[in-house]
Amino acid sequence: MYTSRKVTALDSLCVTRVSQSCWHALDDDRVIGRGEVSPRPDGRSFLSIDVWRADAFDRLAEAMLSVLPRPLYTVVDEEDADLTSQWCAVGFSVRRREWECLIPTGPAKPSDVPVISPEEEPLSELDRVIREEVEASVGWQEMPAELLGPGVVDPSRYAVATKSGRYVGLVRVTQVQRLPRIGLIAVRADERRRGVARALLGHALGSLYERGIETASAELNESNTAALALFDGFGARRVGSNLELVMR
Amino acid sequence: MGKTGIEVEGTVVECCPNATFRVELTNGHRVLAHISGKIRRNYIKIMLLDRVLVEVSPYDLDRGRILFRYRA
Repeated sequence: MYTSRKVTALDSLCVTRVSQSCWHALDDDRVIGRGEVSPRPDGRSFLSIDVWRADAFDRLAEAMLSVLPRPLYTVVDEEDADLTSQWCAVGFSVRRREWECLIPTGPAKPSDVPVISPEEEPLSELDRVIREEVEASVGWQEMPAELLGPGVVDPSRYAVATKSGRYVGLVRVTQVQRLPRIGLIAVRADERRRGVARALLGHALGSLYERGIETASAELNESNTAALALFDGFGARRVGSNLELVMR
Repeated sequence: MGKTGIEVEGTVVECCPNATFRVELTNGHRVLAHISGKIRRNYIKIMLLDRVLVEVSPYDLDRGRILFRYRA
């Protein structure tokens, strides 16, 4: 009885491409699965597949992977073991892990590095310089997705560290609903390992604390040991992780 | 274009294991919901008390998928 039902379900399932970026899995004219592909600002293509029935996942993946150029990427919550194994079963493998962290706020500690609210023009220049440095070194593909967007769009979200009047590092805090996110901390290459990032993070957490906010969030690449050490020093707690999967 | 599932607004009332969320729909019914791939791709975080749009499974009315998180 079970086998018969299963065969019937498989036979009636069909996959159709409904647009350049979207596929539907249909059973008896009902959409039981969707697959989508979308480009990231860094040029990579990310897939997602949502299904109500496991067999629809494989059929959608088969249809999409047969026509889309490699490499292809997707993101899964590491806790979602079923989804991760479905992607791995069709040929994806883990490329990197991104930790989701919660950081307690607290009064800002005294620092030798002044941190101030920035002026737009020198802030944009600092952002440009740092982005070029990242691109020339590890590359943006190794950075959290939060950072892939355009440069400075709202200077009020930033604070900058200065040395002799020169902007040497920046921090961006985004208010995401009730939980602010430390979206970006970056320091010019020639000013690293001098406590600038620590001053910036301390300033950001201190500002949130003064506003009565107890916790901030951040995503940290597992391979970015400097960032992990910095946030660990402020009591960051790892509460989850996302896996970026790739099919080459 | 095929028929799609029922979409209902709701509120996240519990964060559950395996990346799932308990969502109370506007009619009082509760569903266990995953987040959609689009939300995951865009790194949108779902938190307790978030107001969300849920597509209910056509196979199990107690299961759903979070399609959208409304701004607070």
